[in-house]
Amino acid sequence: MSTAADRSRQLDLVARLKSAYPEIPDAPTPDQLDHDRFVAYMKPVHDVGGEPDLPMKYENKDYEYWEHMTYVLSEVLAWRGIWLSEERRRIGNVDVGRAIYHGLPYYGRWLWACARILVEKHHLGLTELTERMAEVQDRYAGGLAGKTLKAEPKSEGDGSGVKRNEHVVHAMGKGDPQVYAGKAGEAKFKVGDAVKVREIPVLFYTRTPEYVRGATGEIAAVAYESPAAEDETWDRPATPEWFYVVSFKQADLWHGYNGTTADTLRTEIPEHWLQAAN
Amino acid sequence: MTDHAHDHDHAHDHDHDRTVKPMVEEITDFEVLEIALRELCIEKGIFTAEEHRRFTEFAEQIGPTPAARLVARAWLDADFKALAIAEPMTASKEVGVDWLEPTGFGTPSDFTAFQILENTPTVHNVIVCALCSCYPRPILGNSPEWYRTPNYRSRLVRFPRQVLSEFGLYLGDDVEVRVQDSNQKHRFMVMPMRPEGTDGWTEDQLTEIVTRDSLIGVAVPKAGVTTNVIVDTRAAMHPVGE
Repeated sequence: MSTAADRSRQLDLVARLKSAYPEIPDAPTPDQLDHDRFVAYMKPVHDVGGEPDLPMKYENKDYEYWEHMTYVLSEVLAWRGIWLSEERRRIGNVDVGRAIYHGLPYYGRWLWACARILVEKHHLGLTELTERMAEVQDRYAGGLAGKTLKAEPKSEGDGSGVKRNEHVVHAMGKGDPQVYAGKAGEAKFKVGDAVKVREIPVLFYTRTPEYVRGATGEIAAVAYESPAAEDETWDRPATPEWFYVVSFKQADLWHGYNGTTADTLRTEIPEHWLQAAN
Repeated sequence: MTDHAHDHDHAHDHDHDRTVKPMVEEITDFEVLEIALRELCIEKGIFTAEEHRRFTEFAEQIGPTPAARLVARAWLDADFKALAIAEPMTASKEVGVDWLEPTGFGTPSDFTAFQILENTPTVHNVIVCALCSCYPRPILGNSPEWYRTPNYRSRLVRFPRQVLSEFGLYLGDDVEVRVQDSNQKHRFMVMPMRPEGTDGWTEDQLTEIVTRDSLIGVAVPKAGVTTNVIVDTRAAMHPVGE
């Protein structure tokens, strides 16, 4: 059981965890926050492309048992219609916020997202979940001591009352994005067209990276039809649009690009983010 | 909770060489949460233990060999190479990978829009997912740890030649370095060029030198090199199978 000293120590630890501009007071008045910083705070945290960083030692990693099980859990939840992959990505890669994004292990965020979707969609109650976590902790109190990590469900539910999405039915035998084929109408752009990436406001989620916004590129491929990620991420019915692979000259994307003038970058962008460049 | 092991440098050639495992005994917060979720999901019929087991088995058998074989076969057979570029999922089936399995609509995180990027003497492709870690798992297995790091993802799009040089790959000014940021539903792999010194080789021999790292684009195949560039492997505290 925690002592007063333990609680005090933990409060100190939490107080040191910052994920805000240090030059501005916490919970600033509106006049203290400029547009650039507003945009920085609103930027979906997964969009790290181009953020400066130093070389680090790259390595492989063996899987923890829980990481392997987390990957399986995530995919089985999607398989059984609990969430779309895009919901998982938003929750685990963006909704977590910058501190958790950089602070937790990669699969820690996958696991967080699994818990979150189950609670948010009312499949589990949070009280029920935390009580079960306490029970699991007690089961292994005093250490693993040769015990295997395993799930011990008390029963097997029949699941007939579980609300599942329709995607798993519609996409069966077709795949995704094939399930959306024919639904977007005429593609606005064709291969070779010069296009500029729009600079529309970003709130909560997008998969159009900040590093291409305002840049001009060329359509390299008319790829497939799909709802835009901004809508698919809430499993919201949305008219599919055409997605394009757009090619950019690296020298146009990055100020002071240190490669050659021939170097390019390609990425996929949905139609509503693009306008014809002249 | 006790600290986990620090990584060590080893001058070994194999990806599976381990660092020394620490004597950690406590269950971790993540292990607790995963078990709690799995138990409750099974109790509520969200999925069955059997479904979980089935997907676990699928996840345990994916790896880079089919992708390597696809490239080796493409090097030997011009028609198959053309098929691989034009219909990559059809070509995948010929090396034993059906992108619709095991669910019937694909692995949810990997979609079914696979594309193969052909390297040429003037174009070198390299793949990243700057937003997360999208990767063609069904044919290439799980992504390496470094591929998932914010560090690789933020730097490869902006400083590709620098990052490639850290993998020991230096490309001349006459080569276009083409970064593919796979940020939506496409999943990509690179088809590297066949290296010198492989005349008369069999498909099996060629498969051996098509490394996972060359299929991402951070390396190129070389006769006599059957290992990835990065071989140091951080140990797990409570690994799979223990």
